[in-house]
Amino acid sequence: SPRANGQIPAVGSSWLGPQWSIVANNVAIRTFASKKHKNLLKHSKGFRGRAKNCYSIAVRAVHKSWQHAYRGRKLKKREYHKLWIQRINAGVKQYSWNYSTFIGSLRKSDLKLDRKVLADLAATEPFAFKSVVQVIGQTTKRAAP
Amino acid sequence: MSFPGMGVQRAWHLIDANNQTVGRLAVQISQLLKGKHKPTFKPNKDVGDYVVVINAEKVHFSGKKWKNKLYRWHTGYPGGLKQRTAQEQLNRKPDAILRSAVLGMLKRNRLRHQCMEKRLKLYVGPEHPHTSQLPSESTKVSPALPRSGPMERFGLESYTQLPHPHALNKKFSLKDLKGL
Repeated sequence: SPRANGQIPAVGSSWLGPQWSIVANNVAIRTFASKKHKNLLKHSKGFRGRAKNCYSIAVRAVHKSWQHAYRGRKLKKREYHKLWIQRINAGVKQYSWNYSTFIGSLRKSDLKLDRKVLADLAATEPFAFKSVVQVIGQTTKRAAP
Repeated sequence: MSFPGMGVQRAWHLIDANNQTVGRLAVQISQLLKGKHKPTFKPNKDVGDYVVVINAEKVHFSGKKWKNKLYRWHTGYPGGLKQRTAQEQLNRKPDAILRSAVLGMLKRNRLRHQCMEKRLKLYVGPEHPHTSQLPSESTKVSPALPRSGPMERFGLESYTQLPHPHALNKKFSLKDLKGL
């Protein structure tokens, strides 16, 4: 290899210190610490100011962003569950029913639909949702709305 | 940040506040303004409806609230705490009772100040200038706007009266759940 032949000087042999080496056309080659920095700065795109470019500032911001992402993955599940319940409540109120008794009757019936599917039906497939409401109403012998 | 929902289906509701209990009526009005009666509800978007309330001064308070309920505000100057009983508030600004009840039930954010508050139309007495916007007999669905998304139109009537722009060529896929 060129480094074994002596064509490229050994790492650390230059006046720049142990990390740097100079090749024939005086271009300094960065070594392992800079690779670690580059890997972290990949995750700091879009950050404000020096936090997107300078490692020692970015490392704090990126670690905080990872903490937010960890928390956010758990919050996302809660938020969507909440939204689906609000949408099912609104959809079921069109047939003068409320969410709590609807879910109770859903559990007693054979339907295995979950809140995600029910919310999507209520919003985009009104005929399907109406038939679901009627089927569940029949299983609990509810008076027709 | 853009609140106006493009292609959102907005309805006009007429409510007669004559002899209605203030708080109980305010709950229903605030739900309509926020859009929580729609299965296409989005918390970050303006999906609510217009609400026209007539006879806003003929609302009812139970108990001795006309004498004892106080409306308080601070002018910003030291010693500037002012208050009025509900009866005095009725004499000075009749629609303020129902308005403060409804707006107190909405979260204080830009969505409420810029969008919901403007869609609440309170009128003292039985007259209102919105006869052209309100439906004549039954609820009419507004015509489909060209930019409405798949999650913004709902209800059986919207499918029977007008072809849903997204229902015609719609093949259900997991991508459609992205909007949820």
